[in-house]
This record gives sequence, structure tokens and C-alpha cells, in this order.
Amino acid sequence: MSNTASPATATAGRVPRLGGRDRESRWTPYLFIAPVALYLAVFQGYPLISEFILSFQQSSLLAPQDARFVGLRNYHDLASSSDFASVLWTTLIYTIACVVFAISLGLGAALLLDRPFRGRGLARALVTVPWAAPPVAVATIFAWMLNAQYGIFNHVLKLMDLEIGYESWLDNPKLALPAVLFTTVWQIFPFSSVVLLAALQGVSEEVREAAQMDGADRFSIFKVAVWPTIQPTVALLALFVTIWSLRRFDLIWVMTQGGPIGATKTLVIELYTRGFVARELGEAAAVGMIGLTIALVVTFVYFWYTQRTERAQGRR
Amino acid sequence: MKTPASHALRMALIMVLLSAALFPIYWMVVTSLTSSANLFADRPQMVPDPAQAFNYAETFAKTGVLLWLKNSAIVAIGTMVLSILLAILPAYALSRFRFHGKGVLGFVLFATQMLPEAMLVVPLYAIFAKLLLLDTLGGLILANAAFTVPVITWILKGAIDGVPLEIEEAARIDGCSRLDIVLGIVLPIVAPTLAAASVIAFFHGWNEYVFAQTLILSQELRTASVGLASFVGELSTPIHTVMAIGVMYTLPAVAFYLMVQRYVVAGMTAGSVKG
Repeated sequence: MSNTASPATATAGRVPRLGGRDRESRWTPYLFIAPVALYLAVFQGYPLISEFILSFQQSSLLAPQDARFVGLRNYHDLASSSDFASVLWTTLIYTIACVVFAISLGLGAALLLDRPFRGRGLARALVTVPWAAPPVAVATIFAWMLNAQYGIFNHVLKLMDLEIGYESWLDNPKLALPAVLFTTVWQIFPFSSVVLLAALQGVSEEVREAAQMDGADRFSIFKVAVWPTIQPTVALLALFVTIWSLRRFDLIWVMTQGGPIGATKTLVIELYTRGFVARELGEAAAVGMIGLTIALVVTFVYFWYTQRTERAQGRR
Repeated sequence: MKTPASHALRMALIMVLLSAALFPIYWMVVTSLTSSANLFADRPQMVPDPAQAFNYAETFAKTGVLLWLKNSAIVAIGTMVLSILLAILPAYALSRFRFHGKGVLGFVLFATQMLPEAMLVVPLYAIFAKLLLLDTLGGLILANAAFTVPVITWILKGAIDGVPLEIEEAARIDGCSRLDIVLGIVLPIVAPTLAAASVIAFFHGWNEYVFAQTLILSQELRTASVGLASFVGELSTPIHTVMAIGVMYTLPAVAFYLMVQRYVVAGMTAGSVKG
């Protein structure tokens, strides 16, 4: 490392945290981040910019060298397509349902596993097993369990004598999305529960006990003592579950490939289908850009919301 | 509050929760050890039948499952090693230095979480073709680690934030370079978090599907995720064979996870719950 920085710039400059020896220059931070910056630029930045440009082109997977610029036509085509409107609708339902069910189920599990009982450590470990299972394997096993004729789900429903009969869950346009959602929530709720369990450690015993003394019921105790503590974590979880749901591919693709008749086609499935099945790379890129815009908007809403709550709490 | 009745209710709910969490894995094992006749019986066989263990031998013989698992292990370990190597220095820089573009770097690291693999795969394919990375496990590792490096950088930064500055200052006075400090002093202190981050990267590589499906062309370089997915909707392979592959792909991962979950949970939540 060069020794170009004078003592004066070192104290006033970029690396003032540690005093003492002056062997490192103000370039040290940049040397530290250079490898990762270069790496991400090649494997994330460049592909992203290519996709952005591609979204204004017509380009076929079969002859990408013949790409030509078409302006906003890909976006215009998507905006005027009713199929794409239903893709957005499916994505919206899928994402919101993932957030609501994964977090509420995760919170329920966390509350159950919070207080001490015999075997708590084991129970906490076992409840996270779905999260450790590979999504492709999860999709495979759930597709088999949901099988119309031989699946265990329908067998149990029959035993319970429900009037549902032999539903072919993944072939029925009305049932496929709920089935995929059910599978997704099974896979991801442990993540919420692990994170919320950690957040619950911050709940003040005094506030909890004071509420208990006042004869508050469980729900009031939750509202007064628990919710204010875990609320920032819930908001952060909602952000992550949203972003992950917007980009989830493997589980949905292996279960249904977006079918039947587009019933489980979220943005990423649509992107993949347009790119690799219809081989229209420009349209696929436009779909990707729209998905990315939605993710960015959600992120900004999150930051706006957390800052507003922090300010409100500061005022109190 | 702690009446026996409410305690019993709570334990019952916990049992329901654990059964729901574990049943699909159990069912995969049961199905893999079910005879062809029983697969399609009116009353499903509810417990595994050890006499059907030969099904696994047949699965080894008839499919490339061992090769797929080996490839997945190579990709997972490679993703893990590369992610850790790349993440250490930027994590330290984000935690300890003030520099121009720090906020931008933080945002870029977060933004990578929004990019779907399926979106980047077309341009990546073109880059890979130019760099001769197409159809190589090394290329797959490079593509995967681009998604894990940001997460791991973030987690490690959280851990390094918790290391007292005084420890570093003492070493600085003794004449250690910054790199010595990072590798010799800070890293050992954050070793538990490093272990957690390694596990997260390993799982990403083990699970990954889109890149493995598109950037790998040869049969003999297939990973287990692609191998398993290739049977879905394909009717000529009996379901107990598919489930045997699923078991071999899932159970080692779950067992490994259960062994290390204590560290993973501690390391992960240390980074994520603070804010």
C-alpha cells in the first residue's frame, strides 16, 4: 500500500477511526471493496444493464445477434395485454398471501415456542426443517402429496368425509394457486418464526408482568408488551418476504410451470416463459424490468414507513 | 395464567405445528420405501417398509443420482468458499471505514436481493459463452456466489460491528497491517458468524435451480436440483424412485442443517434483528 497520504489528510480524511500508524492511505477502503465491486459489476451489474437495454429491443433467443431497437413497444404490448394484467394480479395475490400467512404463522409458532418447556430446543430446531429443504424437493413432494388420485391430501379429505372428492389440485385453475401458496408458506414460515423468536427476546418482562397484574387478557398483553417490540422486525420481514416472493421461481415452476392456463403465473414465471418458451428476449426483459420496479417501490415504501414510525416514536 | 389446561393446549398446538413441519419430509421417506403395488393402493401405506430398501440400490443403478449429488456438493462448497473469500474485506470496510460511495455499496448489496436469477440468466449466458465458463461447474459457482456474497457481506458486517475497536488498536500499535488485523484478529472473533454465513452460502449452492438448469448443458455436470426436477411430470419413472432421489437430496441437507442450526440461527438473527 502506498504512503501518499500526509498525516494531516489522514486525520481529517477518510480513515480517521483508528489513529496511530500511517501505513495505509485513503485508498485502503477502496482496495478492500474493489474485488467485490468488480465481481458484482460483471455478474450482476452488466447482466442487469444488458436486460435493461434488451427491454427496448426485439430479440429472439434463436438469433440474438439480429436484435433491433423498438423503443417502448415491449412495454406498450405488455400494458395492453390482458394476459399480462392477470400475471400482475396473480403476482399481487401470491405476494400478499405469502407475506400475511408466512408472517402470521411464523409469529404463532414463535409465540408457542418462546416460553420455556421441556424439549424447547429440539422443537425450535425441528420447526425450521422446512426451511432447510431444497425448494425443488419441496415442490416434488408436495406435487405428489397433492396428486389427484393417489395423493395423501385427497386421501385424508376422503377419510374426513368432506364433500370435496378427488380434486386434482394442481390441474384445477381455481385450486392451483392456493396449493402453490400452501406449499410456499410451508417452506418459508420457519424463517419468520426464527427471526421473530429472536425479536421476542427483546420483550420487556416488566411491561409484560405489569399488564398481567392489571388483569389484562392475553390479547391486550400482546398489544401492549409484545407488538411494539417486534413491530420493526415484522416490517423488515414483510419487506424480505415480499422481495423473495416476487422473485421466487423454482418452487412454482417445478410444481405447475405457471399453469394450468396461467393460474400460477407470477412475473418471474412469465419472464422465463417469454424468454425460454416463446423465445422473445426483449419482451422477457421488459417483464423483468417491471418486476424490478415493483420491488424497488416496495423497498422505498418500507424505508418511508420505518422512518415515519421512528420519527413518530421519537416525538412521543 | 399457567393452568394445566392452557399448558396442555399449548403442548398440543406445538405437536400439531411440528407434525405439519415434518410430515412432508416423512412422507417422502415413506413413499421412497413403498412397493409399486402399494403406491396405488386404496389405503396408503403409512409407515416405511424396510423391505423396499432395494429401491435405493435400483435408483443408484438406473439414474445418475450419485453424480448429481456430487456435482451439487461441488457447487455448494465452491459457492461457500468463494462467497466467504469475497465477502470478508468489504464487510470489514463497511463496518470500519468511512468512504465515498459507502451508502451506494450498501444499497447495491441489498438490491441484488431483488434480482431474479431468471432475469439475469440470458445476459449471463452470453458472458459465459465468451469467457468459456458455459457448461462448467466453476462458472455455475461464479454465478451463484454473486447472489450470496451480498448477503454474507451484510451478515459479517453486523458481526464485525460488535468487535470492540480497542482490540484492533492494540494490534495497530504493535505494527500489524490492516490486512493482518482483519485476518488474524477480527476473523477469529467473528468465527461463529462466519460459520453461519458459510452454511447459508452452502445451502444456496445446494438448492439453486435456474442457473444449473440453463448454464449447464452436459448430462454429467447436472446438479441434483435439475436431476430431480427432470422427473416431475414425467410418467415413466415410478414415484418411489423420484422420492428416493428426493430423500437423498433432502435428508443430508436437513441433517447437516440440524447439526449446525444453533450457529446459523444465532449468526443470522444477529445481523437481521438489530434494526
